[in-house]
Amino acid sequence: LNWLHEYLDYDLSAAELVDLFSLRSQEIDGVYRLGVTDGEVVVGEVVEFGPHPNADRLSVAKVDLGGREVQIVAGAPNPYPGARVAVVLPGSVMSNGTKLREAKLRGLKSYGMMMSERELGISADHGGILLLDDSYEVGRPVADYFPVGETVLDIDVTPNRPDLWGMIGVARELAAILKTDYRVPEPSFEAGGEPTRDFGLRVEAEDLCPRYDLRRVSDLQAGQEAPLWMRRRIYAAGMRPINAIVDATNYVMLETGQPIHAFDAARVHEGIVVRRGRAGEKITLLDGSTRVLNEETLVIADEERGLVIAGIMGAEDAEVGEETTDALIEAANFEGRNIIQTSQKLGLRTDASGRFERGLDPNMVAYAMDRVSAMLTQAPGGKPADDTLSHYPEPVEPWGVPLRLGRAELLLGMPVQEDEAVGRLEALGCEVEREDGVLWATVPTFRRDLRREADLVEEVGRLIGLDKVPESLPAVPQAGALTAAQHKIRLLRHLLADLGLSEAITYPFGPERWKLDLGLDDGVVALENPLSAEGGTLRTSMLPGLLDAMARNRAFGTRGGALFELGNVFFADVPLDELREAALLFRMTGETGAHDAGGLMGVREVGKVGVVLAGTVRPAGWNVPEIQAGFFEAKGLVERLVPGARFVPVARPYLHPGRSAMVLVGEEEAGWVGELHPEVAGKFGLRGWPIAALELDSDLCHPDPEPRFEPFVNVPAVARDLAVLVEERIPVGDMLRLVADLQSPLLAEVRVFDVYAGSPVPEGYKSVAFGFTFQGQKTLTDEEVDSEVGCIRSKLEDEFDARVRS
Amino acid sequence: MTVSERIEQLKSEALSAVSSSASTADLEDVRVRFLGRSAELTEIKKSIGTLAPEERKEVGRSSNLASLEIEAALGSRTEEVAAREREERLRAEAVDVTLPGVPVQRGHLHPSQMVIDDVVDFFVGLGYRVAEGPEVETDYFNFTALGIPPGHPARSMQDTFFLDEGLSLRTHTSAVQIRTMLVQGPPVYIVCPGRVYRRDSDPTHTPMFHQVEGLAVDRGLTLGHLKGTLGAMARHVFGEDVEIRLRPSYFQYTEPSVELDVSCFVCAGTDPACKVCKGAGWLEMLGAGMVDPGVLEEVGYDPEEYTGYAFGMGPDRMAMVKYGVPDLRLFFEGDLRFLRQF
Repeated sequence: LNWLHEYLDYDLSAAELVDLFSLRSQEIDGVYRLGVTDGEVVVGEVVEFGPHPNADRLSVAKVDLGGREVQIVAGAPNPYPGARVAVVLPGSVMSNGTKLREAKLRGLKSYGMMMSERELGISADHGGILLLDDSYEVGRPVADYFPVGETVLDIDVTPNRPDLWGMIGVARELAAILKTDYRVPEPSFEAGGEPTRDFGLRVEAEDLCPRYDLRRVSDLQAGQEAPLWMRRRIYAAGMRPINAIVDATNYVMLETGQPIHAFDAARVHEGIVVRRGRAGEKITLLDGSTRVLNEETLVIADEERGLVIAGIMGAEDAEVGEETTDALIEAANFEGRNIIQTSQKLGLRTDASGRFERGLDPNMVAYAMDRVSAMLTQAPGGKPADDTLSHYPEPVEPWGVPLRLGRAELLLGMPVQEDEAVGRLEALGCEVEREDGVLWATVPTFRRDLRREADLVEEVGRLIGLDKVPESLPAVPQAGALTAAQHKIRLLRHLLADLGLSEAITYPFGPERWKLDLGLDDGVVALENPLSAEGGTLRTSMLPGLLDAMARNRAFGTRGGALFELGNVFFADVPLDELREAALLFRMTGETGAHDAGGLMGVREVGKVGVVLAGTVRPAGWNVPEIQAGFFEAKGLVERLVPGARFVPVARPYLHPGRSAMVLVGEEEAGWVGELHPEVAGKFGLRGWPIAALELDSDLCHPDPEPRFEPFVNVPAVARDLAVLVEERIPVGDMLRLVADLQSPLLAEVRVFDVYAGSPVPEGYKSVAFGFTFQGQKTLTDEEVDSEVGCIRSKLEDEFDARVRS
Repeated sequence: MTVSERIEQLKSEALSAVSSSASTADLEDVRVRFLGRSAELTEIKKSIGTLAPEERKEVGRSSNLASLEIEAALGSRTEEVAAREREERLRAEAVDVTLPGVPVQRGHLHPSQMVIDDVVDFFVGLGYRVAEGPEVETDYFNFTALGIPPGHPARSMQDTFFLDEGLSLRTHTSAVQIRTMLVQGPPVYIVCPGRVYRRDSDPTHTPMFHQVEGLAVDRGLTLGHLKGTLGAMARHVFGEDVEIRLRPSYFQYTEPSVELDVSCFVCAGTDPACKVCKGAGWLEMLGAGMVDPGVLEEVGYDPEEYTGYAFGMGPDRMAMVKYGVPDLRLFFEGDLRFLRQF
């Protein structure tokens, strides 16, 4: 924040600034503090320095703080009598929140502390105590020379605002918010260094490099460190100070947003070439890694070899180093999309590439070049050349965007005064002309995101303040409602939950083994880039995901439970070869041509209801037995979800062959229900647990059909039971259907209340007991009922060879 | 002993038998013994005809009186005894009411779905319809139609699961909005709930999560309508007292773009140690904005005639905040210990 003050004056606390910036511009991700948060740091001169009598690793110093001498115990051995140091006084609060107190260390009193660079928030250096040069006057507050504490705001810049990647941009933004002025430092320097034109500049890949400027700075002093103020700003911005030259380039990048690269001129052969990489070309980068390039990689090279992967990272080869005295400074503009692609391909993102990939303003290059030249004349004492080599064939000019006030008021839903709008746009750097309610804004080239009227509306709106927008509700000209299908899905979910099941939502992708373990043979949709092989294919059934969840529950000790999930399953529906091209066209452009969009998708999604019952579904009470997962438990649910469904034995590799059924609605297959095949249970870690499951097309479920009133009369009903012996193999469902097919007008209800095999029922037979309820339009006589039962009985005898048990 | 005397005698025997009977069964015996078909009193009544005429009247009267008196005594005694017997029976039927009842299994809806239902119901109440679309989406609908052509930087913001060429798992439900606008002219008022997918996994990011996006396109829609609508929704979901604020933001398919914060419904910004808002006082809730004119053009709407707003929220995150769940991954593990809490 001290840095920001260089460009504009404002009177806000850090917290106020965070609030204001968040509400008018960009989100602030964090607020960090460095150095001394609150307290006093003064320049001291070491008078005596020697080992601590009671501790090997400690030293003790007598320090003159300007008129008074104090004793300070130190951990570092580097001070010496006569050295000037920064002493933080007791009572001060450090950035980590600790409050410094006058203390006794190993028996010796210590008044305050001599500070390292890290403690002052200058760098990460904690190797020794910072020694100040003689220009620092003993006894004066260090804050007279540089800030001893710093507050750093971490702004989360949205991708449309690369102009905020530099401190000047932030200052401009804040000035626009506060309606105040900001200052851009005027770079001034004395040129006269060795000429740049001793080197060549050739841009071969113009499409990837709209602008490239090169300036030589000679007569640099080798091995210099950047001035303290610069180092602490670089450090506060999260970068590492390196040397005077690199720090100057980084500093100007942080200030302007324009990345700058410095080459050691002595190591550049003949000149700079901006070209595409050659197939197989290799380059060893500063981070020590060797990268293989291709023709999509933009390279900054000399006549012999690649020096930098453009906009991303330089090679060791031609970097400026301790001995550099003559440098070539690059300020350039690279095509953002290519930088993204290269950076993604290499898996390498740097401070520079992050800025280039958003698309920078090529007109920023010139200012940044001058600014860095000025910086290089300072600490390393360089001389910039009089000439600059520049490749900038198509200069970007400011463009005009109209803004109708009426349009702004419509979009924002609040009144916008013309003067206000003009003022806000001008504060952002636009030139504005008024013309009958239309504002013609000439947009500065650093705001490449402002292209259309809506873009300007946003700027005006946010700077006026979104808090000023009044809340209102539109008059919606239609009745809201769920469709019948949506309503049914919700009904199914609520129904299953009411029946005691818990709703799960599981990932629809799983491992290849799902298909194998279940013995499924449908076309599976594979992910190109799964997070792991465990999630490489899309489910074709709700079952495996729910089984995995159940296995997990079992591992954590549950005795059983019931899960359900509503969701989609996915089947590969690969278009025919001759449709392949049409399919790709549809997927990329939305054009279906003469084809049906469904056939071009390539994936068919079906909405399913899946249920898994496992272990003890209902625990025993003191007066009721427990209920275990089983076929009939699951079937009962199907009967509730699809009343009137038919059940036909079915063979599915994942189901118990004798305890599974296909569910039919009319003639249509709606799904299946059954007990899990024990072998499959084993594969899912559920061995030995009773598991029953079902899966239904949600479309074909109709749990609560539209009710239809049936008239009834108030006459007594007559109940009759009938027990018959039939061969074991006869399905009871067939017998029930037979009874239903009779369509007896008197039969109101039939249920099966007992099925029994074993003595005294003969071997190979079972006894099935039916309970009938008869009811007519008038009170039935015994004869009428007898005749009806007799009719049912003779049908059962004819059809199933049934014998009535007496 | 005269007949009348005998009647008197029978009567007093009967009355004392009644009063000494302790159960309804005994009383029934008494009734049979004294008033039954073969009881002496009944016999006397039957024999009245054989008596001398002067006796007849007297015997008739006194035997009838005796019957009535015995019946009355039986009646009131029976009532007394029956009431006592009933009480005894009820006393014997008492149960330990502290024993658990027959278990009625309680099921559970998923917390994300509860929030989705809540939000959807709110918008349906305002007149919105619910639009849905496929989870496997084409490149065009998921990106290009929303102003994100191939190679666009915004594609790098979203880690996409790719399938066969040109297909991916949708990274947002925005595609549904495009699909809706392509088949329907304005006005449009829809919400689009559904699962979306991004290649990401940590405590606050799962490769699948939910979105509810909304879209309104009509004549004269403003940012004020957006703000009012979302404010009302926030109060519906988090309580009448919450406040909202808009912050500028950036999304590819809206301009202006905003983010909506909801004041902390737990501490309202008064507790620096609040676990829900972490002391910030505000919770980031959703992204929104006025529909970019380019998007309207893409689907053939005239952006000069129609304006619109769109918004998108994460019901999982809302559920985390609302119910205090620290880890998003819990939502999708099917863990009964988790699901049974909702």
